[in-house]
Amino acid sequence: MSDVLIKLEKVKKIFYTEEVETHALSNITFTINKGEYISISGPSGCGKSTLLSLLGLLDTSTEGKYTLAGHEVSNISKKERARIRNEEIGFIFQSFNLISDLDVEENVELPLTYRSNLDKNQRKEMVKKALEKVDMAHRGKHFPSQLSGGQQQRVAVARAIAGNPSILLADEPTGNLDTKNAEAVMDLLDKLHAEGATICMVTHDPRSASRAERRIDVLDGLVVADKKMNIAEKVVAMETSNEAKAVEAEGALS
Amino acid sequence: MMVLSDLKYAIRLLSKSPGFTILTTIVMAAGIGLSIYLFSFFNTMVFKEMPFEDGDSLVQLSSSQNGVRNAGPINLHDYQEIRTNLKGLSEFGAYSVSNLNVSGRDGARRYSAVAAEPNIFQLTRTKPILGREFTKAENQAGAERVVVIGYDMWQNQFGGDPKIIDQTLRISGISHRIIGVMPAGYVFPTNTELWTPLREDATQLTRGNSGDVIGLAHIQDGVSMEELNRQLALVMQRIEQKYPKTNNGIGAYISTIPLAGDADTVAVIYSVHIIAILILILASVNVGNLLLSRAVERGKETAIRVALGAPRSRLISQMLWESIIICTVGGIVGLLVLAWGLEATQAITKTFFVDKPPFWWQFGIDAFTIKLFFIFVVGTILITGLLPAWKNSGADFNAVLRDGTRGALSKKSGRLNRFLIISQIFVSLTVLIAATVMMVGNFKATRADYGAKTENILTAAVLLTESKYDTPEKQAQFAKALQSRLENTVGIGDVMIASALPGSYTSTPALALEGREYTEDKGYPRANYIVVTPGSLAKLGVELKKGRYFNTSDEGLGKGSVIVTDSFVARHFPNESPIGKRIRTVELDGDQPNWLTIVGVVEHTIQGASYEESGKAPSVFRPFAQSPRTQMTVAMEMKLDSDKVIRTLRKTLESIDPELPAFRVEAYAESFTRHTGPMLFITSVFLLFGIAAIVLATSGIYGVMSNTINQRTQEIGVKRALGAVEQRITKEFLMSGVKQLLWGGIPGLLAGCGMGFAMSSMLGVGNADLLLVSLSLVLIIGGTVLMATYLPTKRALQMEPSQALRHE
Repeated sequence: MSDVLIKLEKVKKIFYTEEVETHALSNITFTINKGEYISISGPSGCGKSTLLSLLGLLDTSTEGKYTLAGHEVSNISKKERARIRNEEIGFIFQSFNLISDLDVEENVELPLTYRSNLDKNQRKEMVKKALEKVDMAHRGKHFPSQLSGGQQQRVAVARAIAGNPSILLADEPTGNLDTKNAEAVMDLLDKLHAEGATICMVTHDPRSASRAERRIDVLDGLVVADKKMNIAEKVVAMETSNEAKAVEAEGALS
Repeated sequence: MMVLSDLKYAIRLLSKSPGFTILTTIVMAAGIGLSIYLFSFFNTMVFKEMPFEDGDSLVQLSSSQNGVRNAGPINLHDYQEIRTNLKGLSEFGAYSVSNLNVSGRDGARRYSAVAAEPNIFQLTRTKPILGREFTKAENQAGAERVVVIGYDMWQNQFGGDPKIIDQTLRISGISHRIIGVMPAGYVFPTNTELWTPLREDATQLTRGNSGDVIGLAHIQDGVSMEELNRQLALVMQRIEQKYPKTNNGIGAYISTIPLAGDADTVAVIYSVHIIAILILILASVNVGNLLLSRAVERGKETAIRVALGAPRSRLISQMLWESIIICTVGGIVGLLVLAWGLEATQAITKTFFVDKPPFWWQFGIDAFTIKLFFIFVVGTILITGLLPAWKNSGADFNAVLRDGTRGALSKKSGRLNRFLIISQIFVSLTVLIAATVMMVGNFKATRADYGAKTENILTAAVLLTESKYDTPEKQAQFAKALQSRLENTVGIGDVMIASALPGSYTSTPALALEGREYTEDKGYPRANYIVVTPGSLAKLGVELKKGRYFNTSDEGLGKGSVIVTDSFVARHFPNESPIGKRIRTVELDGDQPNWLTIVGVVEHTIQGASYEESGKAPSVFRPFAQSPRTQMTVAMEMKLDSDKVIRTLRKTLESIDPELPAFRVEAYAESFTRHTGPMLFITSVFLLFGIAAIVLATSGIYGVMSNTINQRTQEIGVKRALGAVEQRITKEFLMSGVKQLLWGGIPGLLAGCGMGFAMSSMLGVGNADLLLVSLSLVLIIGGTVLMATYLPTKRALQMEPSQALRHE
């Protein structure tokens, strides 16, 4: 049990508008162990991004219990949530979400500046390490607008890992990238996982999902499947993805 | 066709957001209306060409004293010297203003008149409709007395008699032959109703005996006013060196006729123009910002249009239509309100004058206003529309369509928003400081203590005919008789007679203090010089500080007593008692010094307007009987209603001399209103401007800041996702607000203080006032910036981070 990093028990999320009550997530229950690489898949609007928001404490559940690293975090203060996001969670977004006014080093340093226990030199050292890991150290003084999409996402990954979080949460990390850059980012996540990082990634791309070792399928706010991926399944997923892309490419050519 | 469909589309979009449309239209109406009003107002007052042929080249030659351009007349000898030496002017002419009593069938009436050189009408390229102009011969002393009359007088007094020429008119007790009638509406140069020949020849008179005149001339092509004034300064310097006694500190200047009286306030007028432009920019930036945020909201729609092949020029023109509609409709509304405002101004400004305002003060929508309207509307369309249209049409449409680059505010947008906020802060602070300094100055002017009680007092001017009252004894006797008869009449209480009451302008001769040395006759101090009958100062409520008021023992031409104001004492006898000290007037004495002994000290009285040099100058009072005048002001305490008192006054005057009319009959308080009226009016206008500026500035800053923070909601989401706590983000945003406040505020403070300082001395606003005004406004703008940062940030922080990340 000591390996459990995240535990969700009967978590619900309901969005209320003036007239409509939308059940985005219903009775979600699963655990994530330390060092796991999980993909959450499902069609658009199924609730996977909402689930990731709950996992990342970017939103609060309507009901249910959420335990992170042994501590219940369902009903903690905003300040405590912010601290946990900063120290325990690293986010990678589809649209990179780098701050355009800050250069690469400053972007990576940003979450570290929210910690009071780090001095400037320590922060610089951590930024340097993170950028080296993603092979972007040479672009430290560039601004996001001077980088390609793939490079921006690598910087975003560096920002996510700079503070040594317990888990990386990635929301469609390759959604805005071409195949080559997407592959590079996924390779980077593989590498981080190999080094011991816990990763939870939301994706609807089977090829990206195939990189994970466990796959949770969400449909209409419910977990419909939660299984470990064996090699054969991974190959099938990758081939399916390749075929789909080939058909897509042919269609485009004709 | 395309244009029509774009126009229809813009109308449809605007009608879908009526709140936005109404708000922006009102903002533009206020901006355009207010700014054109100020331009039009001052153009009519001081910049408009004279309404005559060659009116653009007609200039006035006036005197200045110690550098202060007070539109005063110049000595006839100086005028002749200038005429001989100044190059670049042609058709010199001169006139002196005089009030004349004209006797008719229904008694005597006072008319506004000028004694002028023969070319007075030629200068304005106007000929009499009947008869002729003066001849040179008629301009000589001893020539037959002739007069040219105005159209209104011809109509009213002579029933438009076509045989008016050669008829006789009795003016100030002397018969004049009418030789001409001027056209209807012709009142040049000063609402004139009668023109007589000047009859003064400098060659026949000594400097001391010659009168003063206002010079007129046409400026020659290619000659600048600056060049003429440089020449003139040299000429006047030479004259001063030659005649230091009479010309100490006396200068002259050339200006257009309307600007002659406002030559020194031109800095204030230009400052007002700058304020007007800044208010227009403020309004435009506000509307531009609102349009920009709409353009940002419609980014996706624009991207779709680009994807469908719309050229950029088409997109820009489509987006410009909204600005065109808002600015044009706003402008038209502003113009309509402006027309009403100018009409009201015409009515209000009439009350500033006893007689009539200057003849060129015709406020209304004229060619200049229309021209300005078009310029301002086009300018505001460009400011409000071009930026949002250009920015939105140049966005990365592919990225927008992909919805992939939503995230932190782009660097360019961030810069543009910062620029907008900084410019808003700069413009707001500049406008507000300048407008508030004006308001404070004007407010102070309306609150000034003139040193006399004004309640229930009726004043009237009386002008003695020089032919009949040709000796000081006769003049003194008349004043004494008038005062005593009025005081013994039922319905009239105290009666005061003076050459000028507090609040009125008077002469400021040079004075010499006994025992003081004045090297080469230079450095003589000047003071307002007023003659009063004994008891008048006490009855007027001018408080005695030391010594005594005048009494009957001071009466007599050979006597020399004087009362000075405490401001005179503070300036000249700061550490000693002035009682018993002697002073003398330099110019009035001639070669025989006539020492005057100070017998009393009274409180400072303001002569003229409080904010003018004359109002700040100390005063000296002489007994009327020691220095009698032909023109005097009678002040009467009313014990009955004013109509009865006026009738009593006229009857009393008639009983003494049937040829003497009372004119400028009004309540004493009214004459103060004439000084404070223009100031109150300008204060009201500036109050309106101040309110508009505050509303535009605070709402503008709030709008831009709020829009900027709204656009940065995702950035807030990102930062919170990365672990930033709310206080940290709030602090960060507030710091960025403070930074922008400093970037815009420091230059704004400097510019505002610069303008304020330029105006402060003119308006009587001290440095402490300026500092207080600046600090208060910095606090208001600073508070607005902080609130405008804090509230939207707080709103963004109320969202869950996940919501903020998805915010568009």
